[in-house]
Amino acid sequence: MASRSSVIVRTVLAHLAAALPSARFGLASAPVRRAAWARGLRRAFERLGPAFIKLGQLISVRPDEFSDELVAEMRSMQDAVPPLPAEAIRSVIEAEFGAGPDELWATFDDEPLASASIAQVHRATLASAYRPVWGETLPAGADVVVKVVRPGAAASIRADIAGARRLAGLIARTRLARRFDPVALLDEFATTLERELDLRVEGRFSDRFLFDFRDDPKVVAPRVVWPRSTARVLTMEFMRGWRLTEIEAAKAAGVDCFGLAVHGATAFMRQVFVYGRYHADLHPANLFVTPENTIAYLDFGIVGYLTPEERMNITQVMAALVYRDADRAMRYSERLGVHVPPDRIEAVRAGLGTLLDGTTRPDGTRDFAHFGLGFLSLLGEHGVRIPSGYGLLIKSLATVEGVARALYPEIDIVATAQPFTTRILGAAMGDPARLRERMPEAVRAALRVLLA
Amino acid sequence: MTDDVMRFFAAWMLTHEVADEGLKAAVLRGDEGGTEGMSGGADAFVDGLAAMVAEEKEKLKRDLEARARGEEVAIEQPRDPALEEVRFEVAELRGRLDNIESLLETLLRKLDR
Ligand SMILES: Nc1ncnc2c1ncn2[C@@H]1O[C@H](COP(=O)(O)OP(=O)(O)OP(=O)(O)O)[C@@H](O)[C@H]1O
Ligand SMILES: [Mg+2]
Repeated sequence: MASRSSVIVRTVLAHLAAALPSARFGLASAPVRRAAWARGLRRAFERLGPAFIKLGQLISVRPDEFSDELVAEMRSMQDAVPPLPAEAIRSVIEAEFGAGPDELWATFDDEPLASASIAQVHRATLASAYRPVWGETLPAGADVVVKVVRPGAAASIRADIAGARRLAGLIARTRLARRFDPVALLDEFATTLERELDLRVEGRFSDRFLFDFRDDPKVVAPRVVWPRSTARVLTMEFMRGWRLTEIEAAKAAGVDCFGLAVHGATAFMRQVFVYGRYHADLHPANLFVTPENTIAYLDFGIVGYLTPEERMNITQVMAALVYRDADRAMRYSERLGVHVPPDRIEAVRAGLGTLLDGTTRPDGTRDFAHFGLGFLSLLGEHGVRIPSGYGLLIKSLATVEGVARALYPEIDIVATAQPFTTRILGAAMGDPARLRERMPEAVRAALRVLLA
Repeated sequence: MTDDVMRFFAAWMLTHEVADEGLKAAVLRGDEGGTEGMSGGADAFVDGLAAMVAEEKEKLKRDLEARARGEEVAIEQPRDPALEEVRFEVAELRGRLDNIESLLETLLRKLDR
């Protein structure tokens, strides 16, 4: 363990040292220096393996917390990890099934389709038809992908989490981090990584997602082939399309990026507000736009869950954001477990008011990340503990905003949520339990309009 | 349950449609609210609700017209969500069984060696 730690430190130092000449030994201008350090860190992360690559991805979707240079570098790492030789992948498959790829699939492509942090993905075709949990039957010969956990990934990730803690401290001191706590981020990250190592969890969620969105032809996810899946191997439908990093190609092919950005954001709101389960790892490599003008969600490795109670309270916080109502935001955040000590309430409310007023960008659209992440750090400044689910949700919303903006820079994510929160609050009014609670108010409001 | 309430409002709205200009105005405001949204406060919210009911009303109207023409009501009856949920859970169970079956095959293959 000690030796792994020193490998980590040595690797990082070596790559930072290699960056010294381009940083002109610290004499170059700040952006040039930061770019050189960022490149060094990215190379070190790639060398150090899965846990670090995953950490890099996390950084790449938080432009609000890290410098532009670091985000740009880490983004280039998102999906490009040096591939493992096919032999290594074949032997994992052999160990899992007691049979080789040639017996399990009609064809198996030794050339990887993608090599990501935890898994490597290969194309294959089905030997026989399979009726998935939800959706149409996949015929024999159907294009599938086989996602295989990298051998040794589990062990090395567990070992590296410990080492990464040191590094997180190091990053905090390089001013590459803006206003966040890398160690806290890492804790959250460690708990979610564990679940990601069993691919069946991911497969089940993909099925569930297909069911949840069964009435929405614009939102798709891969169908899972269960007889060819284990904890370390997941066989699923091959999805055709462009990653969000290849958006220019998609536009050229006539994909309606604005429509998809709005639709994708709405689909996310639906996951949060209606189903209470949401894809919490939406970095740009995990989302495709397809030639059929649909959005394909991939990689359900990290998922957030919300109770109906929490959903209602979150809807109210969103409504507060729309109304710019600091009191409402405070009241419902309290119900979500954000306990502000009495002597801090006034200060937090004032800070919140400023935030709510400042969420409008120069072009008139609203900036959710500014509000959400600003709220988190406001709470942090006042020593308020943030419930982990709340943090994950706000970060996910901020990510969705980032992803939607990649598709269409002028999108206002708060505006896309508005008709939606209206609907949710409206539907909640029809809920018998709530009706009893709110009847007089609802009736009065309805009469006011209906009889105007 | 929610659907029933909406349907009730829709029916109410349909019968009052001709008479009530105020309602039409509210629906119009609610429809436009897609972009302007709830910034107008509780009133805009109620407008939004009215627009939702209006949508439901259009559906109801189509149903009734179809029925008047003596057609088999072809509109997709919104399926019972509880039943759908069970259907999914059964399907999911089948997926798990498929998975376990393949695990057994793997064990047999390994024993054969
Ligand atoms: N069903 C699919 N159809 C097409 N391409 C796929 C599919 N599943 C995965 N891929 C490709 O493989 C890449 C890696 O897959 P995935 O994101 O599932 O792996 P991962 O190891 O969990 O990645 P991450 O680095 O996000 O943790 C995806 O970004 C995508 O390009
Ligand atoms: Mg991925």
